[in-house]
Amino acid sequence: MTLVKVAPPLDQDVDLSRTYDAVIVGSGAAGGMAAHVLTTHGLQVLLLEAGKKLPIEQELRSMQWPYDHPRRGDEPPGSHHLSFNEYTIRKPPYAKGAAFKHVYSYVGGWSGSDYVKNIIVDEKDHPYTGTNYAWVRARCLGGKTNIWGRLALRLSDYDFKGKSHDGYGEDWPISYADVEPYYDKVDLYLGISGVKENLPQLPDSQFQRPSKLNVGEVKLRESLKKGGQVLTPYRAGVTTDGLKHNKYRSKCYGRGACDRRPGGCDIHAVFDSPTGLIYPAMDTGHLTVRPNSTAHEVLVDKNTGRARGVAFLDSVTRKSYEAKAKVVILAASTLESARLLLLSRSPQHPNGLGNSSGHVGHNFCEHVMGPGVTGLIKELVGKPHTLDDGRPGGFYIPRFRNLKDRQPGFIRGYGYEGNSGHSMFPAHVMDTAGFGGQFKKNVRDHAGAFISMGAFGEVLARYESYVDLDPDTKDKWGIPVLRFHYQFSDNERKMAEDMVATGREMLETAGIEVVGQDKEILTEGWSIHELGTARMGNDPKTSVLNQFQQSHDVPNLLVVDGSSHVSASCQNPTWTIMALAWRSCDHLAEELRKGNL
Amino acid sequence: MTDAPNHLESLSRREMIAATAAALVTPLLPGGAAAPPAVGVPGKFLTAAEYALLDELTELIIPADDHSPGARAAGVAGYIDGRLAESLEPDWQARWRSGLQAVEALSHELNGKPFLEATAEQRVAVLTRMAAGEQDPKTAPERFFRELKGQTAHAYYTSKIGIHLDQEYKGNVYQRGEFAGYDAT
Repeated sequence: MTLVKVAPPLDQDVDLSRTYDAVIVGSGAAGGMAAHVLTTHGLQVLLLEAGKKLPIEQELRSMQWPYDHPRRGDEPPGSHHLSFNEYTIRKPPYAKGAAFKHVYSYVGGWSGSDYVKNIIVDEKDHPYTGTNYAWVRARCLGGKTNIWGRLALRLSDYDFKGKSHDGYGEDWPISYADVEPYYDKVDLYLGISGVKENLPQLPDSQFQRPSKLNVGEVKLRESLKKGGQVLTPYRAGVTTDGLKHNKYRSKCYGRGACDRRPGGCDIHAVFDSPTGLIYPAMDTGHLTVRPNSTAHEVLVDKNTGRARGVAFLDSVTRKSYEAKAKVVILAASTLESARLLLLSRSPQHPNGLGNSSGHVGHNFCEHVMGPGVTGLIKELVGKPHTLDDGRPGGFYIPRFRNLKDRQPGFIRGYGYEGNSGHSMFPAHVMDTAGFGGQFKKNVRDHAGAFISMGAFGEVLARYESYVDLDPDTKDKWGIPVLRFHYQFSDNERKMAEDMVATGREMLETAGIEVVGQDKEILTEGWSIHELGTARMGNDPKTSVLNQFQQSHDVPNLLVVDGSSHVSASCQNPTWTIMALAWRSCDHLAEELRKGNL
Repeated sequence: MTDAPNHLESLSRREMIAATAAALVTPLLPGGAAAPPAVGVPGKFLTAAEYALLDELTELIIPADDHSPGARAAGVAGYIDGRLAESLEPDWQARWRSGLQAVEALSHELNGKPFLEATAEQRVAVLTRMAAGEQDPKTAPERFFRELKGQTAHAYYTSKIGIHLDQEYKGNVYQRGEFAGYDAT
């Protein structure tokens, strides 16, 4: 099959006089999935994206060697990426008063940040205020799916029924059995690589060919197995066998060096929303896409209080437009969707749309990260270098805390992401002491002999963790910005201590010498897994959406992104976001067919 | 410019061979011609004297050896100088200028002569003193050492020589079954 490299053309002049069946705000994992499902049902859909449609292959330059880039991947002078130090010692808005022409969030990867400068937003144009938060936003067709870390995990009833398990928070209004068929659909439609492990806390997917483990990883896997624990190959949202039904995506050719950038794949073996969902949806003839459309309000019918469309500005010309639709679907990302609801005040909805509960913006949660360990596998020192990184990721150690045991210091759990083996750049170079011939030989001999892993832990959803609108600060387009009221608590700090101690123990038990450890928790937001600002629930007094991500207050308004999540779990959210969006949009199409909306 | 000939004379025979060898080897690598060795090239931001000093320092940090050419052949000083020249951060530029001055000052203190006029052993002594506080730098030369080593290592290990000849990196190619791993199933 020949890969189609040319995406379908976008409409230059979108017909805004008609009323669409649905208008979707946002083109990432959630918006792309909504577009795919609704167009498959034959509905006429308009998709609004605030950013540009980028020539993404030219941005990513996946196989460019560092030395073929004039700055070895770094951004040009005048551009600046925020560091952990800046996120720590300063307060948002981080770009305020900066001498640089452009300021970006921390995202870059070791090979430099020039590859994401058009994908992630300029903090100067997109300020926010309040507590420290490393908010990474991608405004372009496909959003963050263009650069995501591609770890594709399912949630289990340890997550959906967390309160029943340990008494904290709220259960989701659904269980794993409700979502399982939709996880299967996502697996088969988009492709996922992994190995079945039969774990109750991390259900298996319908996997394509898994990636392999290298020497150090097998050593750790075998050791963990003796203690009843599991190390499994990275479950990657990557098609390793190819997808016969998708002409825009190639299978993975193990070209490697996937760790050098924040993510992204110019042959689209990694899932991204444009090639995985949006272009095929456009091919149905039912989808219209309008980039450069900054939504700022969900419009409401004065008589019925129901949603009637979306008001937006052209991001370039700043002209005002309205898109009319029978149903409005927000998929702008957890924080942007909450912002839109809060911006959409009207006499019927004085606290913001769908916010009679007062929970919009609240119960904000995510994953805590930073703590991790590095070990040295002595028997690999001085061995010839092998091809170890020809794969989309290394390994994953699923959650093991607070399943059957009860930890004294914290509730919920965490998993480790890690890898070992030789990669393009010897990351240990600055930890190798000295200079000269011996230094150079040490760097060479030790390359490939390390194993590293870092944990991602569940941050508890709390009503007190929230965002609201800042009354004084506006973005480049004159739209009020979000203000953060969000900080990690003792549960996360105790969990972080356990991440380091247990990581050390795992390596030492495997006979791997611990040579490094990170105890520091990275700034709130660093995981880019923000969730839960418009949570689902059965009770309209304590939740914003029902189990089909439909607003309790406004039945023809759906919010299908991560804002609907009731708890963060410790598993990466993208696959769940898409499974839930598919389920909700199937339900929506059925409701429309029955005339219930 | 006047310092460039001195700098060339200061090259050891081994270094000259290594630089030449690199020039011979690199065109065989994928992706076309190699970056030319930076030997004797006058600086863009740095003065010729500063440039010659930097070039020697980078080669002392990552020297040519039996396995692979070093920082000089990989054009490390030229790359650093190019980044300094286009930088819009005067503080960073000033740190490099004062850092190189601190090296000269230390050379005078330890050896009583400019760095490039000192013997090979004397140069190593200067760098050894600079590297002494690597984990917890306190003096100006110690602080500069971390910056110098970091930039040298980054430029070298992202160069054609660093990636292909020194590290013998095997990836970033369409894989044909030679992945060195194990099935977990």
